[in-house]
Amino acid sequence: MAQHSSKGARFQAVTANRLSDGEVVYLSPDNQWAETFAAADIADGPEAGDALMARALPADFELHVLEPYLFEVLQDGTQYKPASVREIIRAAGPTVRLDLGKQADAKRES
Amino acid sequence: MYRYDEFDHQLVGERVKQFRGQVERRVSGELTEDAFKPLRLMNGVYLQLHAYMLRVAIPYGTLSSKQMRMQAHIARKYDRGYGHFTTRQNIQFNWPALDKIPDLLEELATVEMHAIQTSGNCIRNVTSDQYAAAIDGEIEDPRIISEIIRQWSTFHPEFTYLPRKFKIAVTGHDNDRAAIKLHDIGIVIKQNELGDVGYEIHVGGGQGRTPFIAKKMADFVPKAQLLAYLEAVMRVYNMLGRRDNSYKARIKIMVHETGEVEMRRLIEAEFAKIDASQMLAVPQAEIDRISAYFASPEFENLPATSATLDAAQAQDADFARWVRANVVAHKQHGYGIVNISLKPIGGVPGDATDVQMEAVADLAERYSFDEIRVTHEQNLVLPHIRLDDLKTVYDALNAHELATANLGLISDTIACPGLDYCNLANARSIPLAQEISERFADLDQQYDIGELKIKISGCINACGHHHVGHIGILGVDKKGTEFYQISLGGSADENASIGTITGRAFTEETIVDAIETVVTTYTDMRQTDERFIDTYRRVGLDPFKERLYAE
Amino acid sequence: MPNEYQLMKDGALCQDEWIYADEEVGLSDAPSIISLSRLKAEADVLRARNAKLGVQLLADGNGKTKLGEDVQELEPYLDMLSLVSIAFPTYRNGRGFSAARVLREQFNFDGELRASGEVLHDQWAMMRRCGITAFELAPSVSLETFSDAMGELTDAYQPAADDQRGALWQRHK
Repeated sequence: MAQHSSKGARFQAVTANRLSDGEVVYLSPDNQWAETFAAADIADGPEAGDALMARALPADFELHVLEPYLFEVLQDGTQYKPASVREIIRAAGPTVRLDLGKQADAKRES
Repeated sequence: MYRYDEFDHQLVGERVKQFRGQVERRVSGELTEDAFKPLRLMNGVYLQLHAYMLRVAIPYGTLSSKQMRMQAHIARKYDRGYGHFTTRQNIQFNWPALDKIPDLLEELATVEMHAIQTSGNCIRNVTSDQYAAAIDGEIEDPRIISEIIRQWSTFHPEFTYLPRKFKIAVTGHDNDRAAIKLHDIGIVIKQNELGDVGYEIHVGGGQGRTPFIAKKMADFVPKAQLLAYLEAVMRVYNMLGRRDNSYKARIKIMVHETGEVEMRRLIEAEFAKIDASQMLAVPQAEIDRISAYFASPEFENLPATSATLDAAQAQDADFARWVRANVVAHKQHGYGIVNISLKPIGGVPGDATDVQMEAVADLAERYSFDEIRVTHEQNLVLPHIRLDDLKTVYDALNAHELATANLGLISDTIACPGLDYCNLANARSIPLAQEISERFADLDQQYDIGELKIKISGCINACGHHHVGHIGILGVDKKGTEFYQISLGGSADENASIGTITGRAFTEETIVDAIETVVTTYTDMRQTDERFIDTYRRVGLDPFKERLYAE
Repeated sequence: MPNEYQLMKDGALCQDEWIYADEEVGLSDAPSIISLSRLKAEADVLRARNAKLGVQLLADGNGKTKLGEDVQELEPYLDMLSLVSIAFPTYRNGRGFSAARVLREQFNFDGELRASGEVLHDQWAMMRRCGITAFELAPSVSLETFSDAMGELTDAYQPAADDQRGALWQRHK
């Protein structure tokens, strides 16, 4: 798999796709697979990143998600946001179909 | 069109059941993702960025109305109301849930369709000429042998775990619309001096990281020996193709590294052994049975011109323009081949909604002998429309935003799904196609520019065929940001060529300006009626490079 | 292969009478499977040996070549061989499917052809179609699972090394 986090990355989160429907999910502070990036646990520093990744891989993780990995996150004021275009798109949905994906769910809820 | 008999029905039915079992074993934890992945891929199920993606096979790009309606139904019931037609004449759904895919496949099987071998390192869906049996000058309907190849290659026990994927394309016409020289095997139907029909075979073409034009391996393989010849190519590849590096595993690399002469010797030696057994000579009765499904429709005897059409063209300039751009001459007097552009200005290339699919199905049923074709340039075709009906068909298409008159023009772009959907992509492709078509939205300007094929890929795998675009665009990633590289002079037809990279890549903000610079350079330099590709071949890369990188 | 496996042969679980011989040690009188290099090096001696002999054909380079061993190299020794064990180093490497068919259809080998290595559920039926009759399976596989997998697809479109003719031929018997 491609590298989704650079060596110098300070903040990282773990993402995966849900087994049943492929939905993009993020590992939350209470070890749940959450549907929004806002609910993701953010690790500060490489060691915290490794620990976060370890929490994503309990023995039975494959029953819930596939291909979990760490990706780089940037601090944006008091908020965080994914660093790469790829992860921004995964967190929101296709940029050419704003009516689909998480961006659409967010719009419906607001 | 080919219809399933009990064999086909049973096999596809059993395959759905088998896949249901595989999904159940994955969900229960019996199969790890690592073990399941090749199984789901073999049945066209990918994991993309936002969800799973299912690729459904449309053999040689031919669909009936009923089959098209089923795609609309699937889009509505299992997806989000649309599908995406691909460069391999297939359709992809972007949002199906894994646990619903077995049900989806069961419904698909009721219209004699499946997702078998639409991915994985096996022989993929056979592709062909979208104008088959409608265009003048064809030696034989390429779909007959394509169907035989489809059956021979389905669940082939020896060739399902090849070093890499394997794509076969067939054309029956001198004008190649199936890009046969860019396939692992390209087949051209030929007639020899005695009047016998046989096959010219090209091996080792392909795009991706290392593009190659296929080498001609055989001038004329007689009809009865084709499957033996194909099996020989496949066996030589399966035994001697590289497996140590997936980037070097396609047969094109083997042909390149082994050399054309030695490759031919290996294939012919194996062919002699297989052919001697006569095991793969298809009985004439079976060829006749399959051919009968592709018998010519019962065309009416009509005059070559239509007063109705002439009058409508005189009255409606937009219609006249559409006829000029999107309707191609039919072999039968009084008929035309209608191209339905899936490239509306500012739209997503190749996407169609459920409603649009149903509209096309209705028109095909009523006006085109129930036939629809998918093109590798991501458009649709109604192959047999009476000239008298063109205006009616146009109006119906227009009502569904399916009548953009841009076939072969600058806005008729091929684009892969790119980083908006694809797990492998480095950059987005679709927004670029949209911006380019908006920049050149004026159709009169597009006609003035003339035939110009822009092809955009979001990564080096080249699903958007950028290597063979007159203008090719490749998206690259630099530290999480998108950049775009331009290549010029590629072509996918009978004079196939691989484009040359102009130089350093452009940013998302500057790429569309750069494309406009290329176009202006061409229009400034072209001679009367000279197409872009011909100007490029006359003047070469330098004048374009100078203008692109001028300070 | 020295991995732990159970042998499925001709549709039944059975005791494996064969052993994979240690390369460094002289052969016993037990039916023994040796490497291709040993077969080539010791052919004269082995021809005089009065016990059943088998060979394992490797499909990956074993670190030495890009391709692994060529089935064509077995041809001069076929009269000495009662078994060929075709290695499938991973399920992705399907080179052995071709080796099996060449042995059955071109060399008319009628001894035991067995699949060793990563021999997975979804390939068993295809292996059988290519002429493989014995399977080294993971100990967890039940006879029922194996039989069910073999019956998943009743017919075939094309001929191979088994007795199915394929739909393209069978429709016009």
